[in-house]
Amino acid sequence: MIYGKMWTVVRPQVGIPMFIAGVAIASFSVHLALTLNTTWVKNFLNGGAAKVAVAAPAAAAEPAKK
Amino acid sequence: MSDHDKVGPTGLTVAESEEIHRNLVQGTQIFGMIAALAHLLAFIYSPWLK
Repeated sequence: MIYGKMWTVVRPQVGIPMFIAGVAIASFSVHLALTLNTTWVKNFLNGGAAKVAVAAPAAAAEPAKK
Repeated sequence: MSDHDKVGPTGLTVAESEEIHRNLVQGTQIFGMIAALAHLLAFIYSPWLK
């Protein structure tokens, strides 16, 4: 297996937490950047899409009431 | 003394090192599959990329 011998040189107590932390930090950064730099994530988490879907038939039905 | 019994600077043999590495690779593959599934669900059920 490629790089299989690396744990004879790098202590697993150090290397494995560093690897997991690297993955976690990279993943968190990407998702944070998405929430900070786009509008649709906030709208989606606030239920913006559902409100529009519910509001549309009500708005369409409104003229019929008059 | 075969290559698999050789002890490195960390005190682990090559066989032990390869066992740890196998488990780490397998864990990474399982994590990757779960992440891929989560992204597929996010793609289907959220406005992402639409």
